[in-house]
Amino acid sequence: MSYDRPYRGGRRRYRDDYDDRRRDIVESPQERLKNIIIRLGEVDPVQEIFTVEKHIRELVPPLIPNLSESFHISITEQPYKIPFYAALLRRLHEPPVNQDETSLGKQILEEFWKGFQTYVDKLMWRETRHCISFFAHLVSAQLISAESFAALLQSFTAVLDEFGISHGRAKRAALCAADGLMISGTVLTSAVPTIFDEIMTSIQTYTESTNSGKWIVQPSVRLHLSSVSVENADELLDSAINTLKALESSGFEGPYPRPYADYPQLDMMLFTPYSLPSLLVPPEVIELDGPTETEESDTKKEEWPEYFMRLFSDDITPDPNTPAGYAVRSDLLAIIDIFEVNRKESARILLEYPKWTVPGTFKLKPGAPPPEVENLVNYEWQLESTLLETMLGASLVLPDSSQKQIYYDSLITEVCKLSPSTIGPAVGKSIRKLYSSLADGLDVEIQRRFSDWFAIHMSNFNFQWVWKEWIPDLELVVQHPRRAFMRRALEYEIRLSYHDRIVKSLPEEMHPPEAHTLPYQSPGPDFMYDDPTKPHHDAAQSILNLFRGRAKAEDVITQLDTLRNTLEIEVSDSENVNSLIRFITTQSLLHIGSRSFSHLLNAIERYLPLLRTLASGGMTASAGAGNPEAKADILSASASFWKYNSQMVAIVFDKLMQYQIVDPTDVVSWTFLHVNEIDESEADLKAPLSLSTFEWDLLRGALNKAVGRVSIARRKLALLRKEDDENRARVKANMDVDGDVKPEESVQENAALTTALKAFSSLTKEQKAALSRTLEGFISCLAPTTTTAHPNPKAGEILTEDSWHNHANWGKEEWNAWETWGWYRHFCRAYSPYLRNYAATFTAVSFARFEGQSDPVSDLLQKIWNVSIGQE
Amino acid sequence: MSHVVQPLDQPSNYKDSQTRIDRQRQNELLSHSTTLYIGNLSFYTTEEQIYELFSKCANPEDGGGIKRIIMGLDRNTRTPCGFCFVEYYTHAEALASMRYVSGTKLDERIIRCDLDLGYKEGRQFGRGKSGGQVRDEHRQDYDPGRGGWGAQAQRLEVERRRQVEERYADAQDGPGAVAGGGEDWKEVETSEGKLKRERSPDDEGENTRSAQRTKMEEDVEADRM
Repeated sequence: MSYDRPYRGGRRRYRDDYDDRRRDIVESPQERLKNIIIRLGEVDPVQEIFTVEKHIRELVPPLIPNLSESFHISITEQPYKIPFYAALLRRLHEPPVNQDETSLGKQILEEFWKGFQTYVDKLMWRETRHCISFFAHLVSAQLISAESFAALLQSFTAVLDEFGISHGRAKRAALCAADGLMISGTVLTSAVPTIFDEIMTSIQTYTESTNSGKWIVQPSVRLHLSSVSVENADELLDSAINTLKALESSGFEGPYPRPYADYPQLDMMLFTPYSLPSLLVPPEVIELDGPTETEESDTKKEEWPEYFMRLFSDDITPDPNTPAGYAVRSDLLAIIDIFEVNRKESARILLEYPKWTVPGTFKLKPGAPPPEVENLVNYEWQLESTLLETMLGASLVLPDSSQKQIYYDSLITEVCKLSPSTIGPAVGKSIRKLYSSLADGLDVEIQRRFSDWFAIHMSNFNFQWVWKEWIPDLELVVQHPRRAFMRRALEYEIRLSYHDRIVKSLPEEMHPPEAHTLPYQSPGPDFMYDDPTKPHHDAAQSILNLFRGRAKAEDVITQLDTLRNTLEIEVSDSENVNSLIRFITTQSLLHIGSRSFSHLLNAIERYLPLLRTLASGGMTASAGAGNPEAKADILSASASFWKYNSQMVAIVFDKLMQYQIVDPTDVVSWTFLHVNEIDESEADLKAPLSLSTFEWDLLRGALNKAVGRVSIARRKLALLRKEDDENRARVKANMDVDGDVKPEESVQENAALTTALKAFSSLTKEQKAALSRTLEGFISCLAPTTTTAHPNPKAGEILTEDSWHNHANWGKEEWNAWETWGWYRHFCRAYSPYLRNYAATFTAVSFARFEGQSDPVSDLLQKIWNVSIGQE
Repeated sequence: MSHVVQPLDQPSNYKDSQTRIDRQRQNELLSHSTTLYIGNLSFYTTEEQIYELFSKCANPEDGGGIKRIIMGLDRNTRTPCGFCFVEYYTHAEALASMRYVSGTKLDERIIRCDLDLGYKEGRQFGRGKSGGQVRDEHRQDYDPGRGGWGAQAQRLEVERRRQVEERYADAQDGPGAVAGGGEDWKEVETSEGKLKRERSPDDEGENTRSAQRTKMEEDVEADRM
């Protein structure tokens, strides 16, 4: 392989006059050396250490900063190669010919430390953690003094004692300390015997405080249990603790490659190990220069304990609670995270991963030549299953995965494309495993992501799935999680493809409407007034014709007044007439816009004044913010127009919010009050109200719109503030120079600032209202007051242990109630950073009626709430 | 970051061959671009399919989302001809699509995404001699998703074709033919007195938009094809 190719990516070779950035720049010898160092081990890591060492030594005089930077890039971007870089640095520590000189290795290490210090100062945790692993190997190779390394680890465990520490910070500090101890264990504990207990105690004390957090993010739900009960999933810090325990009892018989162990010992009479300077982990950055009002500071993502699901048994994939399993898991997660910028390279590196492990860790590919070196361990795990388990595990972390969902989906696709024959079976097994766990209380958000991934994956692989193996499950109740999964997965497949194509991929048994698997019909529009025999057909036609003829909005409004007079004669109740007119108008407009998303946008944009008039309630009087019933009518008319197409309902709602016809709070209210009115035939099935993924998607859309607007307004405000400050400074400077002020300029900018502040405050109010309305809605679903039309006894009944043990016999209503609980739980934890801002108000308003009351429903409602806002 | 691999969200050799913007300015536009060109679509792929896939890269909680989709049409027949523009509200979303969606399948074809300078009036039409995309002029293979080479499209796709042919029959030329997609949230006037003078509800937005347009036009001179 030529070392002169800077990248292995494919596209690079393309060249044309347009793109001068891609021209080959002549590499300087230093750059060439850097690339050689970064690419260490393309073929045989152990052998190449000597070659690379030779290259380094041959380029004289050595440029230490360049060498140190090369090590930094190599270690922080390719952590799976760390043991080999440790070995390389060990080679470079060989004493120079002139004994008065400092060895090259030591010079690099001293320079390397400075870079590490910068990572810590900037709280670049990923880089920090990989450097600590590197140092740990250097301790094992006797290049760094164990005492100084122990002190370094102590400065990370010290972080865990901070008062009110965020979980994200604690987790990262704990992982740094744990990694360092795991890798350097033998040497470190013999030099500093107390260090093991110190680190263990520190991490354990911390994790004991995270139990309520674990309870709300565990992947399987047990509504009757207030303690954590997890099978088939492992929490990250718990795995680290279990691994440390196992390592200690085995005398730190580590699972790491240690190529440097084969080198002759350095002469300790002549060599002094590097003593790491002492270091302090700086406190978390609190933005001090930001606005003073607390609500204006950016809402930080809340971090929770991380559960990774297991899909295979310990002989197929490594158990992350064992030293070797933990090491593999950490490396794979690091690769997935680092190479997010290029999923294709990420997939390639994942599939090549076994070469960086101790021989025998993974089973050889069938037909591969026998290994040159003897297996040192005998785990023989399956690479493909391990990759699938790790990628899916990372994508299913609650409440949010660290990368976007679609990244993991596409990464799995790439891995499959690179190695279709070997990875195919692993994908199938993963799907079956997740599918089978659906009924065992798999969290609703995980279920949603699973169906999302399933559809995307099938879309990339010809929609080939053996659906017939799930035919027996058609016997289950219609709301059973497995049946809900099939419906949802097929609905998502249809969105990505089209109805007939997906029907073709299914066995006959799943076709008929009674099978409740496919949507009742292909996802077309349903114009209520289309049929000439239906009431108000003619009225609707007259409006429709105006739209078709591109009549002006004002003319349509005038026509609606006329129509209203006519209808008032036909229909008795005047309230109904207003509502009827809104239905006719909205549906006719959507009908015009039903051909495509663009047609919808054009229709809405052309008739914005009309829609605003409709939303304001009266037919002629315009009043700004609109009328709640009128807006609910518009939403109902839209939802019933697209009742066979849930995707379009969400799109129409989103655009109605975008064009400010309705507010997010209207959508939230509508979802809780009116969603079960869309399809009259199903209204009965939906009482009491329960939430499925469809309703959750509408809520999520509305909440994200509210939250997103606040973040735009915040950015705008910050920008204006900055400009304002700069202007003031400039004006002041000018004044100092010539005493000349331009008052009109500064007044103008302040006006912009005032407007932005006003916008920010009304958007914040809207966000608060949307959140509050959602919370109220959930509470009224799960604990309806005695006076409501639809009591929901199942919401309480399913909370007992007995009921759960009998869940195999649950009916539709039990599963509906269970899913609604699931979405409530997810709402609280997913929006917890925002809910926390209003914790006191919301607690007082929404939970006041449970004061002094103790029953399972109100207790659970409040427990989920309290944990989410960090009060338990 | 990334010294080890080439990120997938870099601008490629894709370009609007008829743009007159100088390269430096193009690069700058691309570094903030919220618009993607999507190529190698089937003629039958709908905007809703595109919306479904590309919404997976949206960040609504950060003020993002899909602003609009502009379907590429055959100049003569006004039917989709295998490309489109997807416009987001934020640059980050466009980059995410480059990293996670470009090179994956939609409607069983591998689609490609490229950062685009931004939609301009007229760019929704194909530039090939016969009205479609240039690449379909000289294509030697049989591609059922892109009109095959004869009228022998697959049975299943005949119905889709009929729908597709109807869909854009009303597509128009000229300014205002393509929807804007909705701007950022604005304060709505609530005082009743003001509203009586029938103010155009969108005039504030209109001004900023046309101001932007003028600015762009200065840069572009004539970008019509």
